[in-house]
Amino acid sequence: MLLDYERLGWLRVALVGFTAAVAAFLLLPVVFIVLLSFGSSRWLAFPPPGWTLRWYQQLLGDPTWIDAALTSARIAAMAAMLAVIIGLFAAFSLVRGEFRGRQVLRGLLLTPMVLPVVVFAIAIYAFFLRIGLAGTTVGFVIAHTILALPFAIIPITAALEGFDKSIEDAAIVCGASPFQARLRITLPSIRIGIFSAAIFSFLASWDEVVVAIFMASPTLQTLPVKIWGSLRADLSPVVAAASSLLVGLTFCLMIVTALLRRKLSR
Amino acid sequence: MTRSFLSIRALRKTFGAFVAVHDVTIDVPKGEFLTFLGPSGSGKSTTLYAIAGFQDPSSGDVLLEDMSLLSVPSHKRNIGMVFQRYTLFPHLSVAENIAFPLRVRRRPDAEIKRKVADMLALVRLENFADRHPGALSGGQQQRVALARALAYDPPILLMDEPLSALDKKLRQEIQAEIRRIHRETGVTILYVTHDQEEALHLSDRIALFREGRIEQIGTGEDLYLRPASEFVAGFIGNSNFLPAEHLQTARGASTIRLADGSIVTGIKTTTSFGQGQRVRLMVRPEAFRLAPGATSAALAVEIIDTAFFGDRRRVMARTAAGDEIDVRPASDAEGADSATTSGKRIFFDPGSAFLFPA
Repeated sequence: MLLDYERLGWLRVALVGFTAAVAAFLLLPVVFIVLLSFGSSRWLAFPPPGWTLRWYQQLLGDPTWIDAALTSARIAAMAAMLAVIIGLFAAFSLVRGEFRGRQVLRGLLLTPMVLPVVVFAIAIYAFFLRIGLAGTTVGFVIAHTILALPFAIIPITAALEGFDKSIEDAAIVCGASPFQARLRITLPSIRIGIFSAAIFSFLASWDEVVVAIFMASPTLQTLPVKIWGSLRADLSPVVAAASSLLVGLTFCLMIVTALLRRKLSR
Repeated sequence: MTRSFLSIRALRKTFGAFVAVHDVTIDVPKGEFLTFLGPSGSGKSTTLYAIAGFQDPSSGDVLLEDMSLLSVPSHKRNIGMVFQRYTLFPHLSVAENIAFPLRVRRRPDAEIKRKVADMLALVRLENFADRHPGALSGGQQQRVALARALAYDPPILLMDEPLSALDKKLRQEIQAEIRRIHRETGVTILYVTHDQEEALHLSDRIALFREGRIEQIGTGEDLYLRPASEFVAGFIGNSNFLPAEHLQTARGASTIRLADGSIVTGIKTTTSFGQGQRVRLMVRPEAFRLAPGATSAALAVEIIDTAFFGDRRRVMARTAAGDEIDVRPASDAEGADSATTSGKRIFFDPGSAFLFPA
């Protein structure tokens, strides 16, 4: 290799330093928030004058916060499930199908990822107002499913492309109907892709705020919406505690994904 | 009514304007090992896939014990198949792979257990039952695939170049396994390959495909010793072709004139040629001698190169007309060791040579 790490010489130090700086830049705000959530200052002073768990007590003692977290989890779980199911069908037709406009369809299905979120949010809000889905759980789940769809389609499509169709044919010659072959052989073979799709589409909904603000109603609020609302009302360390929990769960899910992928791909 | 077990009737498959299979008709008796041999794109795999049900033929029929298979979907044909690529189910153990066809048939657990054990013994992988496919070598994977294909006692086993991904030594080992398994189970096997040595080694009969048609069908001996065309002679074994002119044929023996003007008589012919017709004389490399025999014809040549291969020597010769000839005498044949220095003439028995139209 032209750029062999071993042969970089003194540049290695510079490279390590630069990488550390980038990592710090990305991680520091998160670390900062987590530290503040344990700080005793009511005004989020840094460095904190002392340490306390008070904000977490307040957070967990407030039913509106618990409610928001549960709503987030419920909507993210439903959106993820729908996105994976639709993603499976989409991936099969994109990978196996032989029809005109296949590439166009692929592009279309991935547009939620590149479209400015606020444009999408306004469009779907206006549409839902007209058909009476604004502020409902169903509307919320539909909107988040659309946003999560690319995150489901990409890993499933990749897994299906890496799966040799001869294996499915072999199952059919063995006596399995085409449907049975897909259910019992193809799906388990691409389970890493399906699993990644579930996690990523869950997270896509779990920490989404822009569309959620439009979809929310006073009685239907997700955690990010609640955080956003609290930030505007009063800047309390409880928000930092809620944010820390949000980040914490995301972090845990990423670790679980990595571990499971390692286990499954063996 | 046909008496044969598997019958392929005027099978034809077209892809747009391209005709992949032209009216192929074959009758296969029960228990036969029949190989479809041919270069790639000759229609052999397409024919096999039509029998498996993965290709719908454009016309023609496939009959198993006088019943048409064409209206039966693949998964109900009860056919065994081993593919060119590794097709073990990656998330199932070896034993579960072999059990799969029995599970979809809802056989009782006790029977499945017994059958899996039998099949593992058949392919000699008893100690690998709990392994996953990823932990097996290519050869082991194809043996498991074979066990899986035979687990439900299919009447026919289709094999689509199952050894092409393996190295030569392993290929020969598994060929011997396949022969043994064919002997022990008596299953009817249709085998596709482009490797003529593999076809000769394995088959009862070989159907040689060329451009969607069967050029010749018969035993390996038939194809080697009595090739029906120049294509067959060129595809099976090694051959030397020399341009010649046909002079006359009497009582099945022809006389020709070679390019250097020499006359050869007594070549066995079944086709009739006109006087003066351009023909090609085919002589196998091992049919040449370096010393004259009782009935042999002689060719004046120049020796270009010789090499020693243990049981055989290889001598490259060139005629005055510039045609190169591959000669493979046995190492201990008369005159073989002196070929380098004195070899100016090589000899062959006209009875072992063939004539084809040019």
